[in-house]
Amino acid sequence: MSPAHDLPPARQAIDIRDEWLACGLSTAPAEREAFETAVRGLYEMVGAGPPRFVWVDSPAAAVPVLAGLGTQVVPAGSLLRTSDLPPVASRLASLMTDLRGHLDGRLRRRPAGRLRPALAVPLESLPPEEALRHGVRPERLVEVTVADSLRTSLRDCVAAPLRTAFHKVRGQRHWLTWYGQHDAHWVARHDAWRRLGLLRLARQDARQLDLWAELARRGGWWWPGEGVCVVSERPAEVHWEPMPGGLHGQVRLHRDDGPAVRFRDGWGVHVLHGTHVPGWVIEDPAVERIHAEPNIEVRRSAIERIGWETYISRAGLALVGAAPDPGNPGCELRLYDMPGARVLLAVNGSVERDGHRRRYGLTVPTDIDDPIEAAGWSYGLSGELYAQLVRRT
Amino acid sequence: MTVTLADLTARTGLDVLDHLEREVTVPVIDGLQAQGDLIVIPRALVPEVTVRDTADWRRVPPSGLELLRSASGGNPHTLVADAGTCRWTTGFWDVERLALGVLQTSAPAYLVHPEHGGTGIAPGAYVVRRQREGSGPSRRGSTFLGGVRLVVD
Repeated sequence: MSPAHDLPPARQAIDIRDEWLACGLSTAPAEREAFETAVRGLYEMVGAGPPRFVWVDSPAAAVPVLAGLGTQVVPAGSLLRTSDLPPVASRLASLMTDLRGHLDGRLRRRPAGRLRPALAVPLESLPPEEALRHGVRPERLVEVTVADSLRTSLRDCVAAPLRTAFHKVRGQRHWLTWYGQHDAHWVARHDAWRRLGLLRLARQDARQLDLWAELARRGGWWWPGEGVCVVSERPAEVHWEPMPGGLHGQVRLHRDDGPAVRFRDGWGVHVLHGTHVPGWVIEDPAVERIHAEPNIEVRRSAIERIGWETYISRAGLALVGAAPDPGNPGCELRLYDMPGARVLLAVNGSVERDGHRRRYGLTVPTDIDDPIEAAGWSYGLSGELYAQLVRRT
Repeated sequence: MTVTLADLTARTGLDVLDHLEREVTVPVIDGLQAQGDLIVIPRALVPEVTVRDTADWRRVPPSGLELLRSASGGNPHTLVADAGTCRWTTGFWDVERLALGVLQTSAPAYLVHPEHGGTGIAPGAYVVRRQREGSGPSRRGSTFLGGVRLVVD
């Protein structure tokens, strides 16, 4: 293939990805009629009659509704008599899994096509157009530019923190959840194969994929039950930023003055540069709260909100020792006592965009008394070895 | 021959952030050097890290080999070298469990990072380790038993 022919598929793949990313991040009110029609279509495919619909403002608001419905929404696990038809949620799960497995298998069995061996850098590190110029097959490009990218952005960075928060509200109950707009990552993958002409779908498969696609385009999370289906609205606000270094349009949640995702009833999650944090980290990152927090990522986010130096002075941490940082001329390593750990305050080896060097803190075991020893420990080295550091960038 | 950051980015197609000085020469070092959360250690300094006899050695392509990328997707550390000069293996044993791999190079190899720029590695054999954090008092013998997490900058 000549480059001139290679460019359009890359552009097309990017457009398809961006279209689905927009669905995944959409804050528009759900299109209820279209959503309900698609759900009815899927119910029909598994031999269930059309359900009635209960709409709620957020996944959290679905919890009391689902609990009130009792066994109508309980999926597998409650099947005591083998003569019972599995619950509709289980049948839908099988339907979806079968479709995905079937389509994946068909793509895997395709002839390998032309492979150019020159590509040794990971595909993730190449912009899509360049990848095609290197002879990467369009199937591989779709996997990286569409599927991997959206899986990172929508499943890992958006749905995951929401699911964690939802599980806290849900407690011990187990409901099979479908993520609607946040399922866009897998729908987009198959949709891209199809639209780029890489896979021809049988009519029944095409019909089913269209239904899942419709759900991802029209609304939020949903819980299918016997004769009733609970559906959540989409969020009212979603705040995100491009993933640093992401060449395939990856995004992560981020907001430092409120929840990164907020639904219409106020429920949501706080996320700082992709790290899911409790609300206090943003609203009131007080020293006592930081010290009571067991999760190191959360502690770090809270400390970085106020700055390591401010935190150290506010918390009144005692200096254990200080020493020049080997390999980092003019910079000092400072070791402080903090509850349950010691913290090594170091200075980055390279400058930030604003011309300053960032100070950062690393926690180290409490039985290390020497800053050089502490820096060495962080790399599994003795202080004596770390003292030989020639250069730090 | 001296290599600048601009040369490295042109040769590899990798990019670094705009604020880094591109015309500055990237020093080539045969000692211990750190690039953010990675450290390059001459093998002789860490004899406890051993390469298995059965290890697969991978040639480092001129376009580079991505050694580490943060979980949230950003900021890869990429190892680059001229064709046929540098090889890399992950078939090793490291008691500290921090090594990413072992490299052997017959010509200068380079580590490139979008925020930390470039750093040169002189011919020789090296262990590349990542950085950890930990808390608690627990050290028994040489084994650290407290909570440990790996650092990703």
